[in-house]
Amino acid sequence: MADQPITAVIVDDHSVVTAGVRYWCGQADPPIELIDANARLANVWTGPGANADVVIFDLQLQTDQQEFTELRRLVDSGRRVVVYSQDAHNTTAVRCVSLGALAYVTKREGQEHLVAAVRAAAAGSPYTPPSLSGALVADDDPNRPHLAPMEIAALRAWFASSSKQMAATMLGISARTVDTYIERVRVRYANAGRPAPTKSDLVARALEDGLITLADLNNHPI
Amino acid sequence: MADTQPKTRYVPSYWRGAAGLLRRGLRVIGGQAWLSEAECQTAQRFLLGLRLAAMVIAAVVLYTLGLPNLIRSFLTYRVPWVQVCCLVTYTTVVGLAAYLVLRGKRWGWLRWAALAATLGASIASDLSLGDGYAITAADWSFGSVGWVGVIVLTERPLCELLAFLGVHELLSLCTVVLTGNGHCTEILWLATASITSIGFPVAGAIAITALRFIANAADEAFQQSETVRVAEAVAAGLHERRRQRFASLYVTAVPLLRGLADRCLDPEQANVQRQCAIEAARMRRLFAELDTVANPLLHELRHCADVADRKGILVEMEGRGQWPEPPLPIRRALTEAPLAALATAISWARVTVIGTPGLLSVNVVADCAPVDLPHPDSDAVQLTTITEHDTLWVEVRWQTNLSPR
Repeated sequence: MADQPITAVIVDDHSVVTAGVRYWCGQADPPIELIDANARLANVWTGPGANADVVIFDLQLQTDQQEFTELRRLVDSGRRVVVYSQDAHNTTAVRCVSLGALAYVTKREGQEHLVAAVRAAAAGSPYTPPSLSGALVADDDPNRPHLAPMEIAALRAWFASSSKQMAATMLGISARTVDTYIERVRVRYANAGRPAPTKSDLVARALEDGLITLADLNNHPI
Repeated sequence: MADTQPKTRYVPSYWRGAAGLLRRGLRVIGGQAWLSEAECQTAQRFLLGLRLAAMVIAAVVLYTLGLPNLIRSFLTYRVPWVQVCCLVTYTTVVGLAAYLVLRGKRWGWLRWAALAATLGASIASDLSLGDGYAITAADWSFGSVGWVGVIVLTERPLCELLAFLGVHELLSLCTVVLTGNGHCTEILWLATASITSIGFPVAGAIAITALRFIANAADEAFQQSETVRVAEAVAAGLHERRRQRFASLYVTAVPLLRGLADRCLDPEQANVQRQCAIEAARMRRLFAELDTVANPLLHELRHCADVADRKGILVEMEGRGQWPEPPLPIRRALTEAPLAALATAISWARVTVIGTPGLLSVNVVADCAPVDLPHPDSDAVQLTTITEHDTLWVEVRWQTNLSPR
């Protein structure tokens, strides 16, 4: 797996965006193999796109509506999704993350963050670019996960400085610790936002989180 | 000529000569209503006093002169109860006027109904007099109708009252001619009686008109002096604002401009160019402070960033979260160091504003040349700077839940 190049399928209705991302992926070290879905979601599910490691997903495809339903469908089917959108609103970014997107990268953010997000997603890890960090720290939803003060400080510093090293210097901690705080925030959001539409889904979440065991299920059938 | 005067003139128009006075008087006597809704309280107080005075006079005339004569001559009338009905009608009109004054209401359509009732009662009274009793003590209504008309038409132009009294006089003349014995002495009696029954109400109405004329002029003078006072207050506020803005620039911009003018400072030197850029950003911020916008802090920061943008620096700006509007001194303290960093950026800058509960943070990260950042004037604001390689990070924080608004 480690020797195989990362493959990503991009679904975006602007060919110039696809061409730019293809260039960035080609320049990445090691290069990322990019598949163009030609702005058709069907090409993400079938053909070469179906086997891509990462889906680079434009939230707004030729319609005025944002494709949250499609994003949920991709996440529920186990696809690793990086949302790449021009929408810089807090609520949109937080909603995508809550739905299970591994990264939300705005189109104002460049090669550095998109390539890093694709690499992290290919490894199954979340990536938090500065704008998403700002969206998370400014999230005023009453149902947002509770964040520790240092986690908020790390999000704020990363958003403001756009440099993990400067953020670490500002907070008096190491850059690795800054990463840890931000990852914790993502885990909190992932846990809070995981959809559990049915009773069996709820049971599955509880098993995953260790809240109940199989023995509990045998003793107290649900 | 007076017509061409602007409405906001400072000298009352009635001082502008006899022509203006005459025109104004004609307007009063003519068909235009004397008092408008917009006229101020002075005229309203005058008018209230005049209406009360007219009512007192009308009541005195009705019950100290008219009623005794009616009682004394009761048996001489053709139909006595008609005279009683006339007295009741006049009393009702006076009572209605008193009610309207006390409740602060206007006559409206009731005015014309009251006038019609008054004239109708006057005609009925004349018709029920015995032959030869017109313009005698038995004709008590003749002397009362004029005052009733005055209280009904107090707020109306003088010509309407004159018309009303003219109709009343004409009806009386007809009564004298039709029911009298044809002697010219009866006409002379009518003329003599009219001196009191018509002349006094007319004199009263003229006095009322003159007083209202003065009240209206006083209103106008008051409004004009108020306009002058407001204009002076605005000018004083503007002057104070300009003085404060000049004071803000005096310490930093004036020495720089003086140095450039005296050639003590070399525009080619990098530090002079940086100082000029910083002062330009400060001026842009001062201008932006005058704008009325939804988010003054972001607005002023955009103006500061625009100075860098015009120099070809790539400026990225993001605002996240919400925050209360900081007062002007706090906004200046929040933007002072960031504007210096922006003004001295070499190729790129990132400006971020983050509002979280209790904290507002303004940040600039840029590849700045070495610059002495000014420290905030306010204790409510904290400045933190970090330099790493050629990158400077300036963060200014304001504790929104601690600082006075």
